[in-house]
Amino acid sequence: MESGLHPKLWVICAAYNEATTIGGVVAELCRAGHQVVVVDDGSLDHTRDIAAAAGAHVVAHPINLGQGAALQTGIDYALGRGADVLVTFDADGQHRVSDIPRLLEALRREHADFALGSRFLGQTTNLPTLRRWLLQAATVFTRLTTGLLLTDSHNGLRALTRKGAAAIRLRQNRMAHASEILVEIAQSGLRYVEVPVTIDYTAYSLAKGQRIGDSVTILLDLFAQELYR
Amino acid sequence: MIAQILLSLLLSTVFLYAWIEYRRSPVVAFLSSVASLAGLYFVWVPADSTRLAEFVGIGRGVDLILYTWVGISLIIILNLHLKLRTHLELITVLARTIALAAPAAVPAEMAGNSAAAPGSIPLDVSAARRSAAGRRSRRRGDQSA
Repeated sequence: MESGLHPKLWVICAAYNEATTIGGVVAELCRAGHQVVVVDDGSLDHTRDIAAAAGAHVVAHPINLGQGAALQTGIDYALGRGADVLVTFDADGQHRVSDIPRLLEALRREHADFALGSRFLGQTTNLPTLRRWLLQAATVFTRLTTGLLLTDSHNGLRALTRKGAAAIRLRQNRMAHASEILVEIAQSGLRYVEVPVTIDYTAYSLAKGQRIGDSVTILLDLFAQELYR
Repeated sequence: MIAQILLSLLLSTVFLYAWIEYRRSPVVAFLSSVASLAGLYFVWVPADSTRLAEFVGIGRGVDLILYTWVGISLIIILNLHLKLRTHLELITVLARTIALAAPAAVPAEMAGNSAAAPGSIPLDVSAARRSAAGRRSRRRGDQSA
């Protein structure tokens, strides 16, 4: 039904060594009628083969660059294919396909160019306390640095209109892209809206996710970019 | 006191950097950690640096030289880091161009569509290339202005 509402909707999955989950994620997205592009970020396993077999378009980086770089590649690919709406979706299975229609509805209802998922407006399952605090600290940092009134600054489930996607250019290859995209949204002056979504944490997604040390790296990356911009 | 605080911040940054870089290069991380910790010690206990200077036969003027050297070294390290980041951006553009020029897989129903042929894709890659080139030319422009 979603494909009927948005015939040019593309879902972008950045994947690095996600052979365990990518097949199921792509299959579910395809069953919902979405066009899917998986950006294989130099995986050493069979991620690209499994994604292709499940029905996704696959674009493969020759080397591992990071999630930010992979998302930008996916955005370029989808825009090149004429996408009108783009959705970024994690490959580790922690997002729900059923949340995508809510993002699209919010874009339409609010006449927005960005619909940003929020686990704190919605629900989480198995979110560790330490990670909750870290995410909330990141949200406070984002509010101070961008002025965006968000409740969840590092949620990978987002929907962008073509205009919104064209307005951002991710230069942070790794995890700092999640903050960078918000800075770019703030600078674009385009309308954004937050949407409640559900994040299902599993042992697999937690093992693949960010660590506390990564937050230091993200801050340094953002600081360094300011120095040579 | 102000100089001590500023140098401590800079040296703490080097220590943090060393900790982050540990997985990539343990030797560099170890040497950077030792240098930054020693620097922090001498910044806050200058008497020991004087004793050390006397021990090796150099007068107090070495303090200034040492502090200046530390500052310059940090700037050089930062500069190298930024250069590496610039190179990484160029590598990213190159890798993206390669990836988009030849998708690894396109579903069968799309493959026959001429509008969706692989060769028609990298429209925005050229934009990325222009963006990177633009940043480089702006830098050159800044230098020549």
